[in-house]
Amino acid sequence: MAKAVLVDITKCVGCGGCTVACKLYNELTWEEKEPQLGEKANLCANNWTVVQKFAVDTPETGVWRYIKRQCMHCLEPACESACFTHSFVKTKEGAVIYKPTELKQDFCVGCRYCMIACPFDIPKFEWDKALPFVRKCRFCNDRLKAGEPPACVSVCPTGALKFGEREELLVEARQRISASPHYVKDIYGEKEYGGTSWLYLSDVPFEKIGLKTTAFEKPVSKEPIPLYSWNVLKWTPYIFVGWGAVLTALHYYTKRRVEVHEEEMYEAVETKEDIKQ
Amino acid sequence: MMSLNSKELEESKEITRRAFLKIISGLGLTGLMAGGLSGCVPKQTGEITPPLLAKSKMWPENVVGRIPIDPDNPSIVRYDEKCILCGQCIQACQETQSVYGFYNLPVVDETICINCGQCTLVCPTGAISERDDTRKVLKALADPDKFVVVQTAPATRVALGEEFGMPAGAWVMGQQVAALRRLGFDAVLDTNFTADLTIMEEATELIKRIKGEIDKPLPQFTSCSPGWIKFCEYFYPELLPHMSSCKSPQQMFGALAKTYYAKNKNIPPEKFVSVSIMPCTAKKFEAKRPEMNDSGLCLGKPALRDVDIVLTTRELARLLKQRNIDLNKLPKENYDPLMGESTGGAIIFGATGGVMEAAVRTAYFFVTGQQPPASLFNLTPVRGLSGIKEAQVDIPGAGTVKVAICHGMANGRKVLEKVKQGQSPWHFIEFMACPGGCLGGGGQPRTTALPSDEIRTKRLNSLYQADARWQRRESHENPEVVALYHKFLEHPMSELAEKLLHTEYVSRADKLNRTAVAAARSWKLRVVK
Repeated sequence: MAKAVLVDITKCVGCGGCTVACKLYNELTWEEKEPQLGEKANLCANNWTVVQKFAVDTPETGVWRYIKRQCMHCLEPACESACFTHSFVKTKEGAVIYKPTELKQDFCVGCRYCMIACPFDIPKFEWDKALPFVRKCRFCNDRLKAGEPPACVSVCPTGALKFGEREELLVEARQRISASPHYVKDIYGEKEYGGTSWLYLSDVPFEKIGLKTTAFEKPVSKEPIPLYSWNVLKWTPYIFVGWGAVLTALHYYTKRRVEVHEEEMYEAVETKEDIKQ
Repeated sequence: MMSLNSKELEESKEITRRAFLKIISGLGLTGLMAGGLSGCVPKQTGEITPPLLAKSKMWPENVVGRIPIDPDNPSIVRYDEKCILCGQCIQACQETQSVYGFYNLPVVDETICINCGQCTLVCPTGAISERDDTRKVLKALADPDKFVVVQTAPATRVALGEEFGMPAGAWVMGQQVAALRRLGFDAVLDTNFTADLTIMEEATELIKRIKGEIDKPLPQFTSCSPGWIKFCEYFYPELLPHMSSCKSPQQMFGALAKTYYAKNKNIPPEKFVSVSIMPCTAKKFEAKRPEMNDSGLCLGKPALRDVDIVLTTRELARLLKQRNIDLNKLPKENYDPLMGESTGGAIIFGATGGVMEAAVRTAYFFVTGQQPPASLFNLTPVRGLSGIKEAQVDIPGAGTVKVAICHGMANGRKVLEKVKQGQSPWHFIEFMACPGGCLGGGGQPRTTALPSDEIRTKRLNSLYQADARWQRRESHENPEVVALYHKFLEHPMSELAEKLLHTEYVSRADKLNRTAVAAARSWKLRVVK
């Protein structure tokens, strides 16, 4: 079964331990210009997960909320469908992995379609390298395979991150929502873009903590992004075969017409000569 | 050589040229290759990977987590590159200070921190550190227009030596003064002077509370430890009326330096820079509290701060090392006059129980008008490093005064719970945020092992030994304090003293999600298996 992580925003104390765990476990480098904690934190080639701080205005007072961001590990990833070299794959454990670095299968040509396709703006490019890769959270794939939670989840001291089966986590999330009136009555990631393996619970509106709730001035789609291209591309074989059939038919039609025409010409010529004789 | 004909010479030259070109082109290619491929090699950041984590199979047995530290914290900073998630900061914050895990989530709009700095002492990689203010001091010292005054806390003189290879508890009061002079401070004064002053004010306040002359409840809490004050404001705001209104010695000094001292020395207060050397990171926060500008208010310039820059013992040591000043080679010098004199009562401020002992000595004198008995000069029940200490002292005219002493806020919490439930038999309670009092403060030199009672005992003994050999041991005997009251403040708790030396506290309960504190305690230290 596919694993998932439930992020409860209301339990995050903002220590940023998860970001350090990610760096330590995945041996990522530190850059002073790229903080992984605070208002200015952003994902980049060496920040696979960041904890962003948002000052949110509530009816009573202003509050601080911290949100951990990383690859959402979509159930049907857009990056996977966009990549024509099949560099991305969704494993059965639930991770969306990048094969060139994960499995040492160098397919990637650096076209960066994945970066355009991703609705969450997750894959990042190693701009400063001559032979760059696309880099992003790998859900600690090796740990996941061994049945262990990813590094970030294993160090969360407050229980804001919970690792488990996706279905079980969804049940628990619904229980938490019904038990407390503070929560937003929705689980971010349950249906967004066809569902993701990282699920978010919050007591402030999702859009106020940087989660994408609208795209092109419409609520985000509940359909997986690959479905959009599938709706078009699924006709490819029919069009291919059908167009071939049409052309073949045309070919035979025209060929036959020429034959008939020539025969008629020939007959006509013979007829003339017959008349002379 | 002569036999070498010109043809051969030319040939060898040619070969050399060809070889040279080959080498050059080879280098060029190699250079191109290296340049192109260098992007693929992981960048060396120069950081040492702790051996604990060098082997990934160790993960995550030794990886626990860490406490939240706000990037804007005035006292402590954390360098994430050095953090190994060992969780020792959690232990210090939760078990020693009972802060982390004792409030409910979600957070409100503040990262709960009492600024005590105990986490800086336990962090094995030095990832958590004091906020470095040494540059500000250097800038002030370099400015010829500024008159830079420095004060030194009671506990730095038994710890600074450790940074220069001396044994724990080495008494370096004289050398410290000499070192500060070498750094270029215009006047080197003593926080101990205002420690005596604090006792004068605090003992007077205590007697007034006991006699019912002011409408404030008993027991009275000491107010010298800014970490403790913030703790009380967060977790027990309903008990704030118990808190003595006296400022801490640092802030009393700051308020007097820009008024009393500047007036005496004819220095315009705007040119005055007040620096303090403290064993404490919370003092950095205290100096930045908005209400700590009473000298400015008094002079009609509210922008003036009482204390401008606070350095910890570690920062002072760093500054001295930067300037190649070796404490071992310095002579012993004396503090500058006017605010440099101190008594034994002030010296023991640096140890847990010290404020209590000094206050009891002076309170005895205030009530009876007589010298306290010899037992009050060696008040053993209030000395030592046990977490909560109790004692009672008979003062003729005031009856039996029951006192309690606690250090480390986890112990403080136990005492506060008793007071909250009305089960407190005490009249006066001393609270110190750090274990051992100021001598174990969060700004004191780091030790190679975890901070232990062994080191604390050595520093503690050093303070009490100094008290025992001091000529004057009661705060009210300090001639400069007597002169201050005579010339400036008139008497303890006079109108001017109230204005300059006393303060008010604010409840920080709204920064704490207190809706379900019982539930909050469930997020205890979680060791991941």
